[in-house]
Amino acid sequence: MNAAEDVLTVTEPEPELIVVPPVRRPMWRPGLGFLHPRMWLPLVLMLAVLATLWTWGAHSMPYLLPPLGDIGATLREDADYYLNNAWVTLKEALMGLGLGLVAAFVLAVITSEFPLARRAIMPVAVILNVTPLVAIAPALVVAFGFGAAPKLIVTGLICFFPILINTSMGLRAVPQPVLQVYQTVNASRLETLWYIRIPMAMPYLFAALRIVFPLSVVGAVVAELSAAGSSAGLGTAISLASSMNRLAAVYASIAILALLGSVLLLLVTALERRVLHWHESRQGNGG
Amino acid sequence: MPSGSVSISVRGARRVYPVKGGTDLIALDDVDLSVPAGSFVSVIGPSGCGKSTLLRLVAGLEEADRGDVRVCGVRPAEAAAAKMLGLVPQAPALLPWLTVLKNVTLPLRVNRAASRRRASAPGPSMEELLRKAGLQDAMHKLPSQLSGGMQQRTAIVRAFGLRPDVLLMDEPFSALDEFTRESLQEQLLDLWDELKATVLFVTHSVSEAVRLSDKIVVMAPRPGRITDIIDVRLPRPRRAELLKTPEFHHYEDLVRDRLRGAFQANAA
Repeated sequence: MNAAEDVLTVTEPEPELIVVPPVRRPMWRPGLGFLHPRMWLPLVLMLAVLATLWTWGAHSMPYLLPPLGDIGATLREDADYYLNNAWVTLKEALMGLGLGLVAAFVLAVITSEFPLARRAIMPVAVILNVTPLVAIAPALVVAFGFGAAPKLIVTGLICFFPILINTSMGLRAVPQPVLQVYQTVNASRLETLWYIRIPMAMPYLFAALRIVFPLSVVGAVVAELSAAGSSAGLGTAISLASSMNRLAAVYASIAILALLGSVLLLLVTALERRVLHWHESRQGNGG
Repeated sequence: MPSGSVSISVRGARRVYPVKGGTDLIALDDVDLSVPAGSFVSVIGPSGCGKSTLLRLVAGLEEADRGDVRVCGVRPAEAAAAKMLGLVPQAPALLPWLTVLKNVTLPLRVNRAASRRRASAPGPSMEELLRKAGLQDAMHKLPSQLSGGMQQRTAIVRAFGLRPDVLLMDEPFSALDEFTRESLQEQLLDLWDELKATVLFVTHSVSEAVRLSDKIVVMAPRPGRITDIIDVRLPRPRRAELLKTPEFHHYEDLVRDRLRGAFQANAA
């Protein structure tokens, strides 16, 4: 019945020009859209379910999970302690990230400009990437002591590979016709790199940064955990608290780490929105 | 440039692409071509006839295996170094993070030494060129916000804005619909009329070649070679009305016949 009607309407000649409205990708607007219950209610419900499960678990297995109230109390009573340690870990994470970013970016440029260097560097980078960093960390502690150095190196290493791979791919993603246009005006390699290749690599770099920003916290904590004599940092706080069987304190530190990771992820997303507005808009217009 | 001089000269050019485990592909075999300064020359032929290869040789993007290619008397690489060339590829090849205005001015900002040497030529500014191309409202937009036709017009303005001695266009309109294509042809002729560059225009559209060109070079494949050169003696300016005249159809038929001839000679 409906199908027959459809056929009839289709065969009717169209008297007017059909204007198809552009298809827009439903975007999460940074405005007040998140105030709508549809935006926050699912998450709140999910958290409530998890909290209920946790409370039930803490009640029936007190040696496995501390009650949520205890974690909250620890956080409140020793707020300064946690803040200081969080600050130490965040500093390590960001400085290590910076180190890894600079090293990876420079090497990405070198490997994409010189195929010989790529053949030398890339295999080493891959080997480094598949080596478990948790295994390297103790060795670095032995070599560099309990200071900041091993933490920065571990964090830097963990951030290094995704940035190197993505950036070097982005630098080489310039379409051939673009390169040809600039070749016929004899743009130098440096000009091509600066005006064309590096901007082209930005979306690729940010894809890596989104992975690497939260990962930097992992790197810092792993290094702290491996350095048994460290004096500060959330990783140190965790190993201290667990050695004293203070489960609530362990989970308090873990909660802060999760928060740190989330904040870093938000930060990089905001940065990406600013830098890659052209890229966003391209996606928004549906190609 | 004195009239009567030669802008592009190709002599005995041969270009072979090695094929792994097969007979090598002869993209160009002993090609001779001479394009007078200030003229509009189209190269037409079926796919694989080497027309794009020929253009790339003149652009200095590839080297001939044998023979000699000159642009205004110098080798293509030297012409590129002196910014004497402008290239409009098949795809607009715009940079998606730059506005239209920044896209068309970037080629002026690279290789500045050559830009300074060429600065003497007075003429319309980039903004004026964009206005002439109907892009005045798009100047500060990103390429992704433009239609395909507007993107290609931007690419043409980018090339013309260099005030090149030789403009090389590789099927620039082939991805556009018929109406857009015709209006772009008209705008291209207007710009060309004003800026007087030598144009080498690769196309596979017969009517496009007839409408735009002073000379049409017909090529055939396997091996890629020139089979005919047709002079188009139609008055300029060539407005849209010209497309309906018998003279225009005469040239279209002529080019089609020669193209078919090139094909059959090849098959036999």
